[in-house]
Amino acid sequence: MRPHTFTRVRSVREAHARAGADTAFLAGGTTLVDLMKLDVMTPAHVVDINRLPLRGITLDREGLHVGALERMSDVAADRTVRRHFPVIAEALELSASPQLRNMASIGGNLLQRTRCGYFRDVSTPCNKREPGTGCSALTGVNRTHAILGTSDDCVATHPSDLAVALVALGTDVHLASARGARTVPLDGFYPLPGTTPQVENVLRPGELVTGVSVPRAAWAAHSTYLKIRDRQSYEFALASAAVALELRGDTIARARIAVGGMGTRPWRLTSVERALAGRPATEATYESAARDAADGARTLPHNAFKPALLRRTLVRALTVLQERR
Amino acid sequence: MTTSPVGREIDRVDGRLKVTGAAQYSGDYPAPDTAYAHVVTSTIARGTIRGIDTAAALAAPGVLRVYAAEDTRLSLYPVADPYRGLAESYLPLRDTTVRFHGQAIAMVVAESVEQARDAAALVTATYDAQPPRASLADGPRVPSGPTLTGSPSQVTILAPGVESIDEALAASDVVVEAEFEQPMQHHVAMEPHAVLAVWDGDQVTVHAGAQIPSAYALVLSQRLGVLPPQVRLIGRYVGGGFGARVVLYSDAPLAAAAARELGRPVRLTLTREQMFTLTGHRSQVTQTLGLGASRDGVLNAVSHGSVAQMPAIGGFTMTPAHATSDTLYPTPNLHIDPRQVILDLPISRAMRGPNEAPGAFALETAMDELAVATGVDPVELRLRNYATATPTTGRPWSSKHLDECYRDGARRFGWSARSATPRARVDGQWLFGTGMATAVYPATRHPASVRIRLLDDDTAVVSTATSDLGTGAWTMVAVAGADALGIPLERVTPEIGDSDLPQGAPAVGSSATHSTVPLIVGAARDTIAELKRRAVTDSGSPWHGTNAEDLRYERGSLHANGRSMTFGQLLTALGSRGVDATASAPAGAPAGYAYHSFGAHFCEVRVNRLTGETRVTRFTTVADVGRVINVRAARSQIVGGVVFGIGHALLEHNPLEPDTGRLAASTLADYLVPVNADIPDIDVHLLDRPDPLLTGPIGDDGGEVGTRSLGARGLGEIGTVGSAAAVGNAVFNATGIRVRDLPITLDKLL
Repeated sequence: MRPHTFTRVRSVREAHARAGADTAFLAGGTTLVDLMKLDVMTPAHVVDINRLPLRGITLDREGLHVGALERMSDVAADRTVRRHFPVIAEALELSASPQLRNMASIGGNLLQRTRCGYFRDVSTPCNKREPGTGCSALTGVNRTHAILGTSDDCVATHPSDLAVALVALGTDVHLASARGARTVPLDGFYPLPGTTPQVENVLRPGELVTGVSVPRAAWAAHSTYLKIRDRQSYEFALASAAVALELRGDTIARARIAVGGMGTRPWRLTSVERALAGRPATEATYESAARDAADGARTLPHNAFKPALLRRTLVRALTVLQERR
Repeated sequence: MTTSPVGREIDRVDGRLKVTGAAQYSGDYPAPDTAYAHVVTSTIARGTIRGIDTAAALAAPGVLRVYAAEDTRLSLYPVADPYRGLAESYLPLRDTTVRFHGQAIAMVVAESVEQARDAAALVTATYDAQPPRASLADGPRVPSGPTLTGSPSQVTILAPGVESIDEALAASDVVVEAEFEQPMQHHVAMEPHAVLAVWDGDQVTVHAGAQIPSAYALVLSQRLGVLPPQVRLIGRYVGGGFGARVVLYSDAPLAAAAARELGRPVRLTLTREQMFTLTGHRSQVTQTLGLGASRDGVLNAVSHGSVAQMPAIGGFTMTPAHATSDTLYPTPNLHIDPRQVILDLPISRAMRGPNEAPGAFALETAMDELAVATGVDPVELRLRNYATATPTTGRPWSSKHLDECYRDGARRFGWSARSATPRARVDGQWLFGTGMATAVYPATRHPASVRIRLLDDDTAVVSTATSDLGTGAWTMVAVAGADALGIPLERVTPEIGDSDLPQGAPAVGSSATHSTVPLIVGAARDTIAELKRRAVTDSGSPWHGTNAEDLRYERGSLHANGRSMTFGQLLTALGSRGVDATASAPAGAPAGYAYHSFGAHFCEVRVNRLTGETRVTRFTTVADVGRVINVRAARSQIVGGVVFGIGHALLEHNPLEPDTGRLAASTLADYLVPVNADIPDIDVHLLDRPDPLLTGPIGDDGGEVGTRSLGARGLGEIGTVGSAAAVGNAVFNATGIRVRDLPITLDKLL
């Protein structure tokens, strides 16, 4: 870890005043401190934003509003969230460990960095960490890497479970900088890596995530998150699916689907959503809708199994949801 | 009335210290004026360091020293035979040669641990790199050296008239031939390797976790160029060994040499990432099994070949057929051919069931395949091939109740309800299956000494420089001491984990308990004899001038002539603080026999039919380990061993990058070991049949000390041996898919 200054701020305005190219905001610290210890992130200034008033879990006519500094564990335990947005609570509870969830914030969760082993090892080339040095994962060990949205410069998987659930639900992210506040859809928050994998989101310099808003919708209450991994707990997803269905009788009126562990960002599958709409809620429907889910996937030597795993994860998640009715 | 604690459920005597945090591990010992070291590691696997820039690190706050390659300030020396194998083959920071990815190339010492770490990040190196040898499949295969016991590792036994093992296999009714892959595995002990070196004049005390404290101190003395008595190793509490703390790595020599040069205590704690390359690992191994049998499953030929990684800097010679194919089943034709490939890798070391765990994975999976091929039930197949003498030596066993393990285990597990047909049991999305495998591990008695001191407060101190790796050795010493002396457990003070104590049994090869316990019995006998001698020769004693033979020792008291005194009362009367005696024994046990512990594993898994994850749902292990000293610790050991096996079966692997020689995993997020959620209740049953040939001390006449015939064998590693095969066999039964390359991850079952 490099020597750095540490400042605690108490207002968003003060945070903006402290912002700068060499400054990192500290919330739960579960990503930042980890990567500082590995020398992957080397900010000269760390600004602790934990005292900012970016709190609250509220439900109104529009939907669910969660402050960026709410802790993962608190949101997961919230009765409103559990009742009206089960996919969010489940995605959170399947993330990390209880200790990490007690620390990590919602805003920080959306900004967590990839678990690509080459990104985390400063002795290896990595375009995301050090643009222009090359991508070690292309020829290295790439079993956990992405198959959707990749480029010749980066195949790193987006690690967040929560972001997958929130993308499925059509969530908006609220941002604030010295120039003012704005709101962007979470699905548009993460650009594809392309030739600039170091650009991971649309945040402007010094801009803070202040919260998220999840629209109220019939499908949100009938939703689930399925996470597939080698270990039963405390591991990032090899594949995951956030599925939400609005049913009319036994017919799927509308579906919202996003997957994790597959893409360089949380991956919404609108084609699968369309293939499900208007069809009976049966395993045959799920299988046929999932058939083309991995279209456009580009596999690597160690993750050629992922397209099949993606299709099967979708079928399983939809089946789980059906059994829950 | 005192009841012997042997064979009971005894809480750990060190349990309270550990759960309250009072137990001091190596990284916890304070020393005034300590300086902190941090190692810088190489980022290539083979080549030469062209230059190291230490200027920025030297200028960083708090930095006292930066030692780089070719530094002459660190005085380190080669280790001589016969201890060469207990150290690395090169001297750290002595030259500019890079031998593996992650080797120490510099070390920063600073006033604080943070300053050392931060300055270490400022050290940069340039290299003349060469392509590393990093592919097991591509390298030349050379025959392996001798086994752990010194016997040749290549074995060929052919029935009269048979020309070759291939001929024997070809002549068999049923033949199973298969190749098995096991990846590199790491010990990943919970406690990091941490060293504190404190010099006092020309004496150095090193705090570090060591499986063999006396050998560790001895080898370190050679590394430092001092005499053995000048080095003391203290490692009373150790957070896991598993084979990773048998030898000295570069950490202790570097810390101790820097402390000597600086004139200050130096602490060096490896990071988790560094532990993957600066300490040992288990080699990757490919095994080829050929089984030839009659139609009813009786073996006619066993061929067991292996190709294991061998680091160019030296390491553990893996011979996976050792104690598996050369031991478990009788066969008239046996061929064992272990080979190795020299690679540019970190040092390899023994790891729990070093040969037996990989060997049993291959052999016991192949036996399951033979069961499928012949239609014979897997338990019945093993009973049809039950050995009463080892196939290679013809020696009978000192004690063997493996058949009872099979039958007891099958009954406890409900094996008879099983369908031999794969995919026969489906519950919703889950396919259920069951499998079993055999466990075996050699019982080797190592040399050791034990001192017992009886004190005037009626307590006894039992001292021996063995090590408790979390296994329960503290409690074992106390239990055996209380038994031998016939006094309550609370009145026994064990002393271990310190090289200044009498040389203890190494905590390796599942041998510490059965090497130590007979000597505790012997030391008790000798100490009681010394007590009696004092009773009749010391003028302050009421029995002064009487005959020692007339004195009877029972439960902490001497009795004679209608008079009784506790040893504490007698010592008080004599004005003596205590009496002691030390018992020692060489390695070995009565000749002409084979000594092994045995067991049988039974496993149930469920595999998701859509996404392929395997989850272990039930596990039963029945083990024949001789006398059980502490039932609770013994069960814990076997449960832990089975957890290891489940990890090997389903999770653990560290891919080696063939182009760079870099290990892909360096954290516990990438190198997966099981978490609680992966482990079901593990049902362990111990037969508790004392081994009649591993009893009290040699020459013991069954006098006044303790349980007459302890007859304990080892049990530390047997839970790991065979358990991966039991999981894999259950996966086959569930899915019909035979996975021969570990770990059995979901992508192999889609």
